[in-house]
Amino acid sequence: MAMKKPIGNRSLLGLSVLSLVAFIVIWEVACRSGLVEPIFLPPPSKVLARAVSLWEQNLLIAHILASARRVMIGFLVAVLVAIPLGIMLGTNRIARAIFDPILSFLRPLPSMSWIPLSLLWFGITETQKYSIVFMGSFAPALLYVMEATQNIDPILIRAARNLGANRYQVMREVIFPGCMPQILSGMKVILGLSWTCVISAELVASQEGLGFMIMNGREFFQTDTVVLGMVLISFTVLLTDIVFRLIERGVLAWQR
Amino acid sequence: MAAMNPPANASQNTPMIRIAGVSKSYGDKPVLGNVELEVERGEFLVILGASGCGKSTLLNLVSGFVQPNTGHIHVNDKEVTDVTPACGMVFQQYALFPWKTVQENVEFGLKMRHVPRAKRAEIAKHFIEMVGLRGVADSYPHALSGGMKQRVSIARVLANDPDVMLLDEPFAALDAMTRQVLQEQLVSIYEKSGKTILFITHSIDEALMLSTRMVVMGDKPGRIVQDIRNDLPHPRSADVQLSARYLELKKSIWETVQVEVTRSLEAKH
Repeated sequence: MAMKKPIGNRSLLGLSVLSLVAFIVIWEVACRSGLVEPIFLPPPSKVLARAVSLWEQNLLIAHILASARRVMIGFLVAVLVAIPLGIMLGTNRIARAIFDPILSFLRPLPSMSWIPLSLLWFGITETQKYSIVFMGSFAPALLYVMEATQNIDPILIRAARNLGANRYQVMREVIFPGCMPQILSGMKVILGLSWTCVISAELVASQEGLGFMIMNGREFFQTDTVVLGMVLISFTVLLTDIVFRLIERGVLAWQR
Repeated sequence: MAAMNPPANASQNTPMIRIAGVSKSYGDKPVLGNVELEVERGEFLVILGASGCGKSTLLNLVSGFVQPNTGHIHVNDKEVTDVTPACGMVFQQYALFPWKTVQENVEFGLKMRHVPRAKRAEIAKHFIEMVGLRGVADSYPHALSGGMKQRVSIARVLANDPDVMLLDEPFAALDAMTRQVLQEQLVSIYEKSGKTILFITHSIDEALMLSTRMVVMGDKPGRIVQDIRNDLPHPRSADVQLSARYLELKKSIWETVQVEVTRSLEAKH
């Protein structure tokens, strides 16, 4: 009986590449053969051509950077507030009792629902975009951090207290680093969420950014611009995910 | 090393640990009933007992993690009312911080007291060498064996210079060979540091190997049923372990333990 060779990682990667190429080719052929009207779905070649022309006008990078900046600022502010607050709420039952009703109210609200109020408060400004990203990512980030604090091995807290750590030192030296793996994996999910927020904010009121690009394309029936915008969102999120993984590997070196 | 001298103001005549009239119950379940125990300075006291006799609760009371319902506990003439670094605890599960290196783990208590970085490193280095782990000072705990982890945990407590070392079945999770090596190391650390040690185990042989004095606990509620001085000579080599005195002590403890365990098993029916 012949032994079956296990499929290697390289063959699997090859399979993935092949699948991507096949997808693009089928898409292109479907459009060119007239099976799909280009006005409903442009062929990849036209999307690429649009990308080149926007690149030449220096608009491509500008749109990406505009959205990325909004995501990063809104996301970072949300995370920087959520981590200390989440650790406090996760370890202090009284603080949790105080904040729980407010959180329960805020949590189900989609970031889109904040758009009218944020426009009223901040106008069509950058601050308004940051606030939408913040509102969309803050509550879930806080919940991730609170939950992470619950999973710390209690014996580590006892050991720290026994070695003379006060409550603040326990938070800084034990709970915060102990939560780090869970916080980081939560933040990866929330970063994706922040992108959804920024796109929805840009769809409504904006002069630049990937959301604006999609909306603008729709107004001029440029479906290739619309699809390009979608592809770029995907790429940027994938790229930030890779960067995030690298950071994670550095910070969590102690796990390996 | 200055860190290892006892505090100058401490009276040398009073016992290091005084447990007077201590009872503890969880809900309506009594765990400890009126325990009286004094531990002299520099004594290596091993508490022996079957599981569930309240010996871990006793350690938690001495270290301040749990407060008694009645009675008082004094360590080095100060009443224990809260968690206190005066009693350094070595846990069976090691309880090392996995995100800190061996060196950082050992420095932990000193860092909490804001000892300057260089001083901290020097003290930690001394104790890491004492437990024979110089080569792995920069490793993370996950890279160490169980026996090495427990040595780090012991070094971490020693570096914090407590009045008393509390060890809660520290070697129970280790294989027999490693356990024996660590027992010998602990005795040599005890001799070098002069610390008062309170050590919990359910192994009679371990008690005989380590202690200067042994206390047997019974349960329902937990109380002290036997208190014997261990006068076996050091080092407790194979010869000592085969001596008549060793077997005599072992038999005496075994008889007490047997009575207690039988009583406890009958009470369950």
